[in-house]
Amino acid sequence: MYPENSGLRENLTTAHAASWADISKPGDFLNAKERVAVVRAAREALDCNLCADRKAALSPNAVSGDHHCTTDVLDPQVIDFIHRLRTDPGRITRTVFEEVTQVISREQYVEIVAVLNSSVIIDTLHNALGLGWAPLPKPQRGLPSGNRNPDAVDEGAWVPILAVAENDLANTGLPRVPNIARSLGLVPSALGLFFQTFRPHYALKDIDLSISQAQAEFVAARVSAMNECFY
Amino acid sequence: MLLRESGRHTNNDFNLNHVTAAEGDAGVAHGALLRELTEATISGDWLHLGEIRAEAELKMGKQQVVDALTVAAAFNGITRVADATGIPLDDNTAQVTDSMRAETGIANFDYSVKSERYDLRS
Repeated sequence: MYPENSGLRENLTTAHAASWADISKPGDFLNAKERVAVVRAAREALDCNLCADRKAALSPNAVSGDHHCTTDVLDPQVIDFIHRLRTDPGRITRTVFEEVTQVISREQYVEIVAVLNSSVIIDTLHNALGLGWAPLPKPQRGLPSGNRNPDAVDEGAWVPILAVAENDLANTGLPRVPNIARSLGLVPSALGLFFQTFRPHYALKDIDLSISQAQAEFVAARVSAMNECFY
Repeated sequence: MLLRESGRHTNNDFNLNHVTAAEGDAGVAHGALLRELTEATISGDWLHLGEIRAEAELKMGKQQVVDALTVAAAFNGITRVADATGIPLDDNTAQVTDSMRAETGIANFDYSVKSERYDLRS
């Protein structure tokens, strides 16, 4: 899905191709049409007038209207959540989470978050390199398997997260299994999909890129600030 | 917070306020270019990004530009995972970054603070 002269490492291009293929297959709580529709909706959010008006408003709830949407396989409340998460992530609140999980299960929510954000990484990189959108994958037939993690635990996040025996501190001063790596643990395949996509991009230390760890942290921190991410 | 840790490992003192402020390079090499590349990428300003990418390739080399964009793309995704799941800070991180979060304004991004600020209905 990338040209040979892109400058990207092979492990990254291989991982992205695998994630794109995985999105085209039935997941654990969404079918393949729904998974591909999540990616389509996330892209359409970038051309959505309602999202632009909300982004400019003091509170996103002060503006109402219809989203730009060409898919009919997802509930309108889910479309609203996808558009918000794609265009205004810093203003996603627990109330937004609670509203959308009135129409979908928490497992479906976790799977949507994983699919959407895997596609955000892939789409952002494509556009940043001037490659345009990768063609959407063709949805494959089949039913969701319904495989959830029965051992996920409540540790103060909005969803149950992956249980770990103990936060074993590494010499980075950070937990060896940070909460972000546990956040999608309610649905193992969702956790796997997202970190399959993310992992070749970044490491907490000894980063295997041509920029220094400090340069990578500066870029990462600036993205976090722009997206108003507390974590 | 990881930028501060990187500084400790390399004996550099990075200005964390530059991360949340509108300008500044925080003291990292090519910081101004990295900032422009990142901001154009995250805001979807593809026209400007094309220009700044060309300039940055001359000054930093193509591979460093590609790698900076690689990191930016990753964090454009993972920050949304955090924002969508409301995960709490890791205990150790919460303890060691308390003053830094207040100093840089990151405390304003706390999920409970966001709810108070953004859940207003018209």
